[in-house]
Amino acid sequence: MNYSDLFKVAFKSLLANKRRSLLTMIGIVIGIASVITIIALGNGVKQKMISEFKTSNSGEQTTQITFSGKEDSTQGFTTSDIAKIKQQFSKQLTQVKFKKDSSDISVSDVSVGNATLSGTVTLLKKPMPNSKLKYGHNLTQSDLDLNQKVILLSSDYAKKIYKYSQNAIGTAVIINGISYKVKGIYKSESYTKYSANFLVSKKTYYAGKKMDQSNTLKLTVAKGNGASSVTKKVVKYLKKHGENRHLGSYSYFDEGAILKSISTIMDVLTYFISAIAGISLFIAGIGVMNMMYISVSERTQEIGIRLAVGATQKNILWQFLLEAVMLTVSGGITGFLIGWGISSVISLAIPYHIHAVVTFSNFLLAFGVSSAVGIIFGILPATQASKRNLIDILR
Amino acid sequence: MISLKNINKYYKQGEQEVHILHDITLDIQQGEFVGIMGQSGSGKSTLINIIGFLDREYKGDYVFKEDNIVHYTNKKFTYLRNKNVGFVFQNFKLINNLSVAENVALPLMYAGVKKKEVTQRVSEVLEKVGLGGYEKSIPSQLSGGQQQRVSIARAIVGNPTFLIADEPTGALDSQTSAEIMALFKQLNTLNHTTIIIVTHDPNVGKQMDRLLTILDGRLISDTEGE
Repeated sequence: MNYSDLFKVAFKSLLANKRRSLLTMIGIVIGIASVITIIALGNGVKQKMISEFKTSNSGEQTTQITFSGKEDSTQGFTTSDIAKIKQQFSKQLTQVKFKKDSSDISVSDVSVGNATLSGTVTLLKKPMPNSKLKYGHNLTQSDLDLNQKVILLSSDYAKKIYKYSQNAIGTAVIINGISYKVKGIYKSESYTKYSANFLVSKKTYYAGKKMDQSNTLKLTVAKGNGASSVTKKVVKYLKKHGENRHLGSYSYFDEGAILKSISTIMDVLTYFISAIAGISLFIAGIGVMNMMYISVSERTQEIGIRLAVGATQKNILWQFLLEAVMLTVSGGITGFLIGWGISSVISLAIPYHIHAVVTFSNFLLAFGVSSAVGIIFGILPATQASKRNLIDILR
Repeated sequence: MISLKNINKYYKQGEQEVHILHDITLDIQQGEFVGIMGQSGSGKSTLINIIGFLDREYKGDYVFKEDNIVHYTNKKFTYLRNKNVGFVFQNFKLINNLSVAENVALPLMYAGVKKKEVTQRVSEVLEKVGLGGYEKSIPSQLSGGQQQRVSIARAIVGNPTFLIADEPTGALDSQTSAEIMALFKQLNTLNHTTIIIVTHDPNVGKQMDRLLTILDGRLISDTEGE
């Protein structure tokens, strides 16, 4: 009797009792599904942490300090701040830079038509999707790359000045002394980078502009130094010595720490749910054992016939063991798929864009655990089946 | 071919030890058509279990094809059974969730015969017992006589050295009984298969070439048939 025959026989006997097999499987499905769900979410958190802490190959990490001024237009960091930080933290930091802001930059003294107003600018590296354009033409990639002095205006903003927003097309907008020609009108959308009043090419905006002030500072922490502790020290230093310390406050948003605490919670949760799943699997395993014992006693005749026509005890043992394992493994795989589904749905509902991640080793875990349950709880009934006394059966 | 010498068999029944077979000595040659008769409880089933390699807990010697099998290992013993004996039981003993063809194929499957050969051989054998074309049927759809034919097909599919039939007509009406007996006779004359049939029906016993009678665990007569 080869293995494919054994599989076929086992499959057939499971199908012969569909309802019983399905009910017995449920426990395994629940156990495996819950473990896979929590593991997939845990994986997601870990992956998120890795991508957030973009550790470069040399072991450097970058962090950001932001300045929030009491007045909107205040730019917090100055070149002298950078010089001081560089001097003070020369060992821990390899680089200190202004970060070029690119969205919702506040600008004042903008002249649009006859009016002088303030507004917000978002800088583009890639063209806006055409679907957002309302009138006129969109900025093209070559507009962005070739320093074309063209601009897009949000329709709300244009309406305020020209009454009909399409009238704005072709007029000039002067920002920071540079005159831009209005090429098109777009629909602004809140909570995206298209919520600003103007869209301009990033290259054009910063062209010829010397950065001497910014609201964001980018630090590169040298290898072997804790990124968050160094950054915290820098913040502390700035609070004492920063040039604009009286005009606003410095803050370091430690996303890593938050993710780390989520990850710790996930770890605890994983242990907790694994323990519950373990109990579930244990009970399910006893269910499997129970079912197998019933099956063995129901099929005493079959065992006798098989032994009489030449099956060895080993053949019988394998047949029943395989039945138990097939039952638990199909439960395990079903549970794996369900867990995958559940974790994907849950990940839609949790913040920080954590995606459920299922790896091949998770599959192996589900497969391994369920087959182990099958073997552990199937071996006793299978042994009992194979040890049946042939003469007693056939009498 | 089959040679039993001084076989004694004891049963433990509670505290008591029952002596079920007394000094059975008997030889059966290749191609014989043998009947074993006796009342229920006489020990005839016990005897054929021993002859058919199902039971090996007895005292005495069993020489099969000039080989004393008393000292065989379990594995070798199972192999011996698979290769040499075909069983036909009173209540057919077919596996109900398998098709006719799968039931008949069982001995070949356990013997490790290739699938193609199995299919071919099963069809041949079913044809021989008059059930050609019934491969895909389920045993419960068949009549008693047909089920017994399936059981015979299963017994002969592996070309065994001898067949053992325990009350093969016990659950059948007289018309079907006659058909089944004719089939056994045909197998014996055409294929020279050794056949051992256990019965308590004197009408069946009469049709045998040789008739052994057992009473209270003792072989009391060994006669040539008419």
